[in-house]
Amino acid sequence: MGEYAPILVLGAIAAGFAIFSVAIAPLTGPRRYNRAKLDRYESGIQPTPVPEGGGRIPVKYFFTAMMFIVFDIEIVFLYPFAVAFDALSWFAVLAVLLFLVNITVAYAYEWRRGGMAWD
Amino acid sequence: MTEYLGLSMLLFTIGAAGVLVRRNAIVVFMCVELMLNAANLALVSFSRRHGELDGQLAAFFVMVVAAAEVVVGLAIIVSIYRTRRSTSVDDASLLKA
Amino acid sequence: MNEIPAPVLEWDLIAPLMVLGAVAVVGVLLEAFVPRGPRFVVQASVAIGGVVAALGTTIWTATRTDVLDGDVLARGQVAAEGALSVDGPSLFTWGLLLVLALLSMLLFAERRLGGGLSAFTGRAADAPGSSGEAEATRHRLEHTEVFPLALFALLGMMLFAASTDLLMMFVALEVLSLPLYVLCGLARRRRLLSQEAALKYFLLGAFSSAFFLYGVALVYGYAGGFGLAEVADAVASRTQERPLLLAGVALLAVGLLFKVGAVPFHSWTPDVYQGAPTPVTAFMAAGTKAAAVVALARVLLVAFGGAEWDWQPAFWAVAALTMLVGAVGSIAQGDVKRMLAYSSIAHAGFILVGVVGATGGDGITSVSSALFYLTAYGVATIGAFAVVMLVRDASGESTDLDTWTGLGRRAPWLAGAFALFMLSFAGIPLTAGFIGKWGVFSAAWAGGLWPLVVLGVLVSAVAAFFYVRVVLTMFFDEPRPDGPLLAVPGAMTTVVVTVAAVATVALGVMPGPVLDLAQQAGAFVR
Repeated sequence: MGEYAPILVLGAIAAGFAIFSVAIAPLTGPRRYNRAKLDRYESGIQPTPVPEGGGRIPVKYFFTAMMFIVFDIEIVFLYPFAVAFDALSWFAVLAVLLFLVNITVAYAYEWRRGGMAWD
Repeated sequence: MTEYLGLSMLLFTIGAAGVLVRRNAIVVFMCVELMLNAANLALVSFSRRHGELDGQLAAFFVMVVAAAEVVVGLAIIVSIYRTRRSTSVDDASLLKA
Repeated sequence: MNEIPAPVLEWDLIAPLMVLGAVAVVGVLLEAFVPRGPRFVVQASVAIGGVVAALGTTIWTATRTDVLDGDVLARGQVAAEGALSVDGPSLFTWGLLLVLALLSMLLFAERRLGGGLSAFTGRAADAPGSSGEAEATRHRLEHTEVFPLALFALLGMMLFAASTDLLMMFVALEVLSLPLYVLCGLARRRRLLSQEAALKYFLLGAFSSAFFLYGVALVYGYAGGFGLAEVADAVASRTQERPLLLAGVALLAVGLLFKVGAVPFHSWTPDVYQGAPTPVTAFMAAGTKAAAVVALARVLLVAFGGAEWDWQPAFWAVAALTMLVGAVGSIAQGDVKRMLAYSSIAHAGFILVGVVGATGGDGITSVSSALFYLTAYGVATIGAFAVVMLVRDASGESTDLDTWTGLGRRAPWLAGAFALFMLSFAGIPLTAGFIGKWGVFSAAWAGGLWPLVVLGVLVSAVAAFFYVRVVLTMFFDEPRPDGPLLAVPGAMTTVVVTVAAVATVALGVMPGPVLDLAQQAGAFVR
């Protein structure tokens, strides 16, 4: 059980930091309202009292999420390599490079054909 | 060991039953993913039993394949939805003899 | 730190796969960077060139494989750390798949028939009938991604037929399937049917591959390894936990029989074959079946050969049912593509009769007979679908069988070619289909499966009656006044129909060279 202690400590620090950050902002921050505060923020969804379209999220988000899934999952092949790369031969380095080249090709296709364009 | 296998078989059965009885294409698809993950659980359980890593390695490949399948499947389902405003598999019934 | 040795890859043996994979990746890059104007021609040329290059490499590889003299004739060796088996059956299948893919690529590249546009939708993201679709047509947009997608599917087929490791086989199965799901939904005409076909194929395909994967997991649990050789050793030596093995075999068989298109996992075939763009149907019908049959035979004979008494009765039943359902089903169809789909189910049954037939002997073995049958079936199928592409009316292909009445009077050569393919499907002598049927039936006879052979001959007779009736209505009935227009065949489709017709006759009259090749392929190397 002892070797898990650092993880627990880290978790406690993270939770403490999150709670502290959220709690301290309303107490110390200045309260000056302007139009920019009511503008859409990052997500692009208008802050309205009743969600537009019954609270459905535009399909663009799913598109981005799908792209993220595809590129993100490929990391599972890099992870074992990263853990053991000092024991692996040059062949493994070349194999991983080839793998990354292939990913980049897919990325280039995505970019050139407008898959990254938001609107 | 046996417990994990039992859980895996239960998940697989739930997934297979879901594919057969549910009518929404996205739910059917999620059930297929459940079946793949049940297989993953079985693979890592057997891997532990045999005391080697091949099964865990296989689980990695299954995860990647499942992700690719998600993207292809959702693309097809979305294209159908944009035409018909419905993802029910019963509505997709133009192809009959 | 301990050094982990680098895996040994036999580059000369896996060169065909490498060439094809590289060309497919280059295709994706071309898609990204070549301007729209010349893109179609560039993509088609690169795809066709890539398939030809891979075919050349396969022949070069085949000349370098050694002949092994064991109990049975075999050639080739296991490559890539036990993931692939580059043996006689693999190389024959690779060559066959590449030839079939070459013909299909010509159909993919055909633009004369649709008024200068390919058979694929201009912009798949637009809803059918929408203003966006009309705009895409006006701007003459074309999805040239179909070429890299088809190449990736072809790569998956080649891997599937050669993989001698269950995990490799699963990955190959998906590499084969995922591009095909997308391709099925890309038809230019009748897009609702096409999208529906893609959805059905995808959901059922994903369902069956989940069964396949669970089968892999159970067999891994039984044998402690993914290699077919390891599984075979475990089957031979372990006596406990047989239920685990049998459940695994059954689940694996579900996934493989789905791809083969055998009863009771056949119900997707007519819908998908009808809805998919016809070039894709041709590619899929010929290629997927070849790859899946070889993979099925490899799994059954190499890994589970020691337990054959457990699985053989089930496969006898599957083969018998598949022949029956396919033949009876094709009689009831009013659509040419559906009719060809049911016919492909019946052929899957005939091939299975050969696969579960004899495994040894010095005559024609089951693997060789199945390989020859796949060749005969593949060329006739691609030819038949190429003819379907040419018989059109104002709304695209005219696939209603009634409109084909009297076609022989209006287009004797075209109808003649179609009749030839029908006769080959029926197994009439002097066509390739006859030699193929003779091969699988004699292999099954040698294995003592005479009830299946008798049933097969009877079913062939029923099916032949139907095929001949189609031929008769084409040639001896009056053409309908509202019959289909016949498109002026483009050079590509003409080449495909001609090559398929010549090959069907040549394989029927002079089967020797290809039959020799199939027999020299010998047994699977484990």
